[in-house]
Amino acid sequence: MMDAHQLIVCRCEEVSLAELLETAEAYQCSARELKLRTRAGMGCCGGRTCRMLVDQVIEQATGHSPSHTIPLGYQPPVRPISFQTLGGRNR
Amino acid sequence: MNQRIVHHPVLGSLDAGKSLHFRFNGTTYPAYEGETIAAALLASGVRTLRVHEEKGTPRGIYCNIGHCYECRVTVDGVPTVRACMTLVQDGMEVTAGVVLPTPLKKGGHSQ
Ligand code: FES
Repeated sequence: MMDAHQLIVCRCEEVSLAELLETAEAYQCSARELKLRTRAGMGCCGGRTCRMLVDQVIEQATGHSPSHTIPLGYQPPVRPISFQTLGGRNR
Repeated sequence: MNQRIVHHPVLGSLDAGKSLHFRFNGTTYPAYEGETIAAALLASGVRTLRVHEEKGTPRGIYCNIGHCYECRVTVDGVPTVRACMTLVQDGMEVTAGVVLPTPLKKGGHSQ
């Protein structure tokens, strides 16, 4: 496999696979806690690109499958929306 | 440089629309009507659309379907516009994202 330090899982916040694996190993935490500790999934795209992978890192590190009691959230809006757009601008 | 595919075995020949011009970081680039900012820049050999706000590493087209926001640029003063989903308009001013200050972070900087 490619060097886990080089492999970026969350591109918005630039979090590497190594960083996720090390954090997951050290804290044996939930996917949500991993997200809060590393910021993976908290960037501009709203975690839509990396959420599955963050779940999988947790599964690999702790054996917990992704149906945690506090899951990685899907909050509306489904995509980032600016206040300008909410205010009526059409881009 | 023009890297457009003008003849495609499945899609047929490119029916180029009206030719337009827009600016990206101060340089003028050509485009055809109906092309996205990302496509027009790629056709001119521009692959880096911005740098990561904190780390300064380069970013360009990743999904090209409006999903990942990697291609976000500033268009006519409006930030966070997806270059892959926005059609070029004549005279558009497009600028790349830059490294932002991180004064509160350990080892951070203030501009
Ligand atoms: S490249 Fe993914 S949103 Fe444009």
